[in-house]
Amino acid sequence: MNFDLDQEHRDLAAAAGEFLAAAGGPAVARAALDGGAPVRPGRAELVKSGYPAITVPESAGGGGGSVLHLAVVAEQAGRVLAGPSLVTYARAAVLLADHPDRLAGLADGSLAVAVADDDGPVLDAAGADTFLALRDGDLVCGPGTVTVRDPIDATRGLGDVALGETVVLARDAEQLWRRGERVGRTVLASEGLGAAARILEIGVEYAKERRTFGRPIGSYQAIKHMLVDVYVAVEQLRSLVWWAAWAADHAPGELPLAAAAAKAAAATTLDQAAEAVIQVHGGIGFTWEHDAHLYWRRAKVDRFLLGDDVAAFDEVARLAMEASS
Amino acid sequence: MDFDDTPDEAAWRASVRAYLERCGPPGDPRAWQAALYDAGFVGVTWPESAGGRGGTPMQQAIVDQEMSRLGLPALINLIGIGMCGPTVIMHGSEEQKQRYLKRLLRADDLWCQLFSEPAAGSDLAALRTRAVRGDDGDWRVSGQKVWTTLAHLADYGILLTRTDPDVPKHRGLTMFVVDLKAPGVTVRPLRQMNGEAHFNEVFFDDVPIPDAERLGEVGDGWTVALTTLMNERLSLGGGGTAIGPKSETVARHVAARIGALGADRQALARQELGRGYVAALGARYTGYRQLSKLSRGELPGPEASAGKLSGTRSARDLADLAVRVLGGDARVATTPDGDGVWQNAQAVMPGMAIAGGSDQVLRNIIGERVLGLPAEPRADKGLTFRESLR
Repeated sequence: MNFDLDQEHRDLAAAAGEFLAAAGGPAVARAALDGGAPVRPGRAELVKSGYPAITVPESAGGGGGSVLHLAVVAEQAGRVLAGPSLVTYARAAVLLADHPDRLAGLADGSLAVAVADDDGPVLDAAGADTFLALRDGDLVCGPGTVTVRDPIDATRGLGDVALGETVVLARDAEQLWRRGERVGRTVLASEGLGAAARILEIGVEYAKERRTFGRPIGSYQAIKHMLVDVYVAVEQLRSLVWWAAWAADHAPGELPLAAAAAKAAAATTLDQAAEAVIQVHGGIGFTWEHDAHLYWRRAKVDRFLLGDDVAAFDEVARLAMEASS
Repeated sequence: MDFDDTPDEAAWRASVRAYLERCGPPGDPRAWQAALYDAGFVGVTWPESAGGRGGTPMQQAIVDQEMSRLGLPALINLIGIGMCGPTVIMHGSEEQKQRYLKRLLRADDLWCQLFSEPAAGSDLAALRTRAVRGDDGDWRVSGQKVWTTLAHLADYGILLTRTDPDVPKHRGLTMFVVDLKAPGVTVRPLRQMNGEAHFNEVFFDDVPIPDAERLGEVGDGWTVALTTLMNERLSLGGGGTAIGPKSETVARHVAARIGALGADRQALARQELGRGYVAALGARYTGYRQLSKLSRGELPGPEASAGKLSGTRSARDLADLAVRVLGGDARVATTPDGDGVWQNAQAVMPGMAIAGGSDQVLRNIIGERVLGLPAEPRADKGLTFRESLR
């Protein structure tokens, strides 16, 4: 057993981190919130980088890589609140696996895809021209009309989707849909991991510098322990994300539990991290100018993507009870 | 990244499993440990010169996993194997190693760890048990230890003492191996809130200790103690499997009873099970990461403390849930199962959040040594131990 990233993964993370940090960052997220500026890197530039098509086979113009590769990149995307989400590409790659033309369109950017769930505004609907959905057990695909409302987090491209004329891509596609959802949950959790790890760093830096009553606030247990609780949660989330990504690639039987656990842990951890770090900052953390609320917005939105944390914990419990009875 | 056994690991697992299944559940715990040792499954990671096998952390983990899979109890000399032994290996003399280590692994001698005192728990370096050196170079020890697990059965202990009160507290300590059958040693068991008596008060009344039983240099006891403590946290936090009820066992228990609960309680029980289970899975896989680092030859760092923090938390939550699904029977120790096992598991957990470093102290360690946050001001900083008592 060797449960750790290898050098290839680390190199990939470093390169992706560099690209994503140069392409976007919290300032871009704020501009998107302020005046509707486009989210970065945006579909075109992201597709050009090749990262979103890592899991698409080479025969369709993708990277032929693993879910773990994509998860490693997604962590870096989460750190800088990049958009659109790699979750969308991960799910689409699963759903379109038997449709080489459409898959190639996903990889070369000629198709701008979003995956439409039925529980409210759709992730990355803004700017999408092709929608995948599950209708009466069938996987369908087609154009749609998008209505964008005032989003809590502008980086998620949320919009209500009314599907137009669709074609059926696969009958009885429940299983395929679930797998796409689970791979999506894994990548979402990885983005949450990156965001949580980054906001924790911001909080720790501030706690070292900011002084009150004659000493750095990070020396007070009240502050220190809050940040340590976030650190412990982030490291546990990291382990669950790696496990889920590994399961997606190598152990389909473990994926349902692993993906649900990672989703649940990501929802609660990012929320805990963002709330804690705003508290550590005091009033400054509550201002528009500070980055903390941008991560907080991510937390509040991501919690409800691909099911909420309550549903994910419930799924973990049902799977655990099933396995033990 | 790979969870599968390597061919070597698979062969090792097969031999461990075959042995454990053949020799069945233990009768006498000392004899069982001796037999396991003779079969090559105790002290796996210890060097051969210390009576071990010179094996890998992964081989040890496989032994632990297979024992856990069969529901076998922990070895009786676990504190000796996990904490005292490694300290002797690192800081002991050649003669001490020869005299003690193999007997420790075979449970010929049981060991305990004499650190905490009534006024020195979390602030361990504030301890007061005195060791005074005589003209012959040997030592006399007086004072009191407390919370000493297994002292009522133990033959030997590693004993942290104060040998110089006129230097700052961390610098005036010295470690010894002490014979618990020596004249002047009195052991008094303490009863825990779950009714059992695992730990003890130990009184030292002018107990002689030869200088040859010193571990490490005079005044360097803190360094020696840190070796023990790091191994302690690793063994308490390792993989989240070491603490409390197993998540699978709780899931089975909940599954068996959830149908009898009302709909609202079923939903609540599933939420709690989900939360506890996710935390247990997180602790397990974080333990695997730790194990992978150890396998590469890296030493356990302060982040090992995080495993104990999160393992304790999830074990507490799961023990609490297990009691809650008993319904009205949760109020009595004797359940329809007949054994009160979940009430007992619940009653053990508050101690786990204190033993081996309280949750609060572990948070300080992680905050300061992993996150690099500034230390809390210390009122005794720069003072000698004697001055700090005023």
